[in-house]
Amino acid sequence: MAVADFIISLLTFIAIYSLFGIGLNLKFGFTGLIDFGHVAYFMIGAYVTVVLTMPAGAAGYSGIGGFALPELFGVLGPLGSLFGWVLGVLGGMIAAALVSLAVGVPTLRLREDYLAITALGIATILTTVVNDEEWLFNGPFGINTVYTPLRDVFPLSLGGFTLNMAVFGILSLAVFGLTGYWLVRVFQHRGRRGRLVLGVLVPLVAVWYFVLPTLSGGMVELTRNTLWLFDPTAGPNGGMDYDRFVLLLSVAALGGGYWITERTINSPYGRVLRAIREDEDVPRALGKETFQYKLQALMLGSALAGAAGALWAINIGFIAPDQFAATITFYAFTAVIVGGTANNKGVILGTAFFWGIRNGTRFIDVPSQYSIQLAAARLMLIGVVLILILYYRPEGLLGEQDYDIPLPSRDASGGTDDV
Amino acid sequence: MVSAGLLDATVQGLITGAVIAGGALGLSLIYDIAEVPNFAHGDMITIGAYLALVFNNPGEIPFLPDFGSAPFALAAVIGVVLAGVLGAVYELAIFRKFREKDADLITMVIVSLGLALVLRNAVLFLVGSKNIQYQTPRVITTNFDFLVTGGGLTVITTQRQAGELVTTGAWGYPWWLIVAGILAAVAVGYAVFALYRQEEDFTTVYLIPPKILGAAGSIATVLLLGVFARLGPQGTDYILGTQIGLNVKHITILAVVIAAMFVLNVILKTTKLGRAMRATADNMDLAEVRGVDADRVQLVVWVVAAMLAALAGILTGWFATNLTPNMGFALLLPIFAAVILGGISSPYGAVAGAMIIGLSMDVGVYLIPGSSTYRVAIAFVILIGVLLVKPEGIWGDV
Repeated sequence: MAVADFIISLLTFIAIYSLFGIGLNLKFGFTGLIDFGHVAYFMIGAYVTVVLTMPAGAAGYSGIGGFALPELFGVLGPLGSLFGWVLGVLGGMIAAALVSLAVGVPTLRLREDYLAITALGIATILTTVVNDEEWLFNGPFGINTVYTPLRDVFPLSLGGFTLNMAVFGILSLAVFGLTGYWLVRVFQHRGRRGRLVLGVLVPLVAVWYFVLPTLSGGMVELTRNTLWLFDPTAGPNGGMDYDRFVLLLSVAALGGGYWITERTINSPYGRVLRAIREDEDVPRALGKETFQYKLQALMLGSALAGAAGALWAINIGFIAPDQFAATITFYAFTAVIVGGTANNKGVILGTAFFWGIRNGTRFIDVPSQYSIQLAAARLMLIGVVLILILYYRPEGLLGEQDYDIPLPSRDASGGTDDV
Repeated sequence: MVSAGLLDATVQGLITGAVIAGGALGLSLIYDIAEVPNFAHGDMITIGAYLALVFNNPGEIPFLPDFGSAPFALAAVIGVVLAGVLGAVYELAIFRKFREKDADLITMVIVSLGLALVLRNAVLFLVGSKNIQYQTPRVITTNFDFLVTGGGLTVITTQRQAGELVTTGAWGYPWWLIVAGILAAVAVGYAVFALYRQEEDFTTVYLIPPKILGAAGSIATVLLLGVFARLGPQGTDYILGTQIGLNVKHITILAVVIAAMFVLNVILKTTKLGRAMRATADNMDLAEVRGVDADRVQLVVWVVAAMLAALAGILTGWFATNLTPNMGFALLLPIFAAVILGGISSPYGAVAGAMIIGLSMDVGVYLIPGSSTYRVAIAFVILIGVLLVKPEGIWGDV
């Protein structure tokens, strides 16, 4: 397996969990709601989407459905089944939002620590229900007949081998170009410490990605890593395989989720959310129904988690209740806090950091009987980093983000809400 | 031969409640005095259980030489003490630092989550994820068959010895004795309550609230009469019959937790340190103004809480007969439910909350068929129901 394939699966993970984390950030970072049950909406989104899109009477499945939306709309034309899948995702998001509405109405009035514990409890109950009620979603056996949209189009081939290689290769190089351009811009705007970190990290990653595989695998490996969108072994003429499509889809969904939250929090509506986080009494004194705002933030965040769940399902191709343990919520909290609470870019950075450590250390060669030890050591490291960051840099690596219009603060010059 | 019924589920619920109470005592202490909703408490329970295992059954831990096995009770004591040391370490290294920075409640929650991650994975790292057992003497369960007959109550005890069910005792209580016993229990309970109660003013601090002491007097009377006033069997043609299974383990767990509750209560109410702890819980700044060394109080709180957590872990590992790295975290939710239910500021509240949770878990599972996997869910439904009606918990806010 080329390094490129590993990077693609890692980036897909990061994109999906970043979307999940952005939903959490909307609740926790911008509105101040500690939802320890966030993973429940991830699970609901995954299950509802899968059940809405998979065919009825699938083998080995004894739960509700499926409702085969893509087949239903498939008669409309080639894009009909894609539309059916999108409808299924929307259904998953709406289901997640509705469940969070039902959870939020009673619990949002509680003290913040009681809210956290109650939300954790409800999420645990929901996971137990999905695990134990086989008539619902097949119980512990999970669902392995996940509908994957546009599956038959891939591997995508445009014509001959050379044409494929040229088109996808140019697109791959364009992505590298854009990344380089973005890195240079970030480099220019950072302080000395930021430049130092980038100046060390970027060459290291570049050596690891380009130089080391070339030394071991020759030009073939270098080509595969450089032209990463192009998989020469996919199909008769090479082309873009499904994993790469899922990556692009996840990144696009992440972009959409990012855009929606950015627009939300920068709007006057989002300012109310941020004011609720700082001191709920103030917006209330100004006549805002803060309870409704909190409820809506909870629903929007949960809907984003639901979308992430739908992507998770097509990425893994199999869903089961044990994938949605409460620890996933804690991992997302870690990612949000490490990257920067109330900073959507920080969420992506934190998620990349977390899953980079969690999955990236698999290149360290340890005898297989120590694999539990290695996994445990990684999580211990993450716990230590979490505590250190909270102590030395409580605002996270990137700090709180800038807003179009910040909340009024003492010096009124900053772009953040840091009061 | 009668089958186990509601009464047995109730007794099981009390034992489960006692195990939860062991954790709830420590958690409520931290929650109330240090004001940290400590999510690492569950994993501290795990650590405590494994610390006792190090001395009780070292052969099961891969990197340790098999240096022989200490008796379970001794290993438990060593484990509890070591857990106290660990509690001091993380209070000094982590929580004190954050307190000096005036970290808010949410930061403390997340810090404790980070600590929980470290502790749980330390166990996984050092021991791995296999199920391990303590080396303890085998415990024989005695089944008490209670038969309500025309003449009164007959009790038959049976034990399983070498695969055979052996009847080890049979006795009974005629109706007149039962009525007299109930009257005596009520009388003793009320007498204790009335004699012990004082003229109350706002400085009155009872070591044990009179109601609890009165109830304890009643229960003690019933138990004493039950043991010493055993008469002949009252026939075996029963109208109602039920069975309870009890063993030394159950009795020990109940006794240890009640003793821990009592000791904690004595410390809080009679010692100078305890008064400083309660003052800190009420208002840390005011307590410091009056000369309370808040840092010392917090250190004691974390150490005592860690020791209580370890005790709970050892009891859990013994009760459930195996230890897993997730055992503590699985207990954390019922413990939180118990603490919030009981109101976070009193040991009695924590134990009462834990008993309610334990009873509702086991009795609920008994009453609702096919719900055995929903034990924790039942606890949470109770908690959520209570929070909806009274968002501050049954016994009020801190």
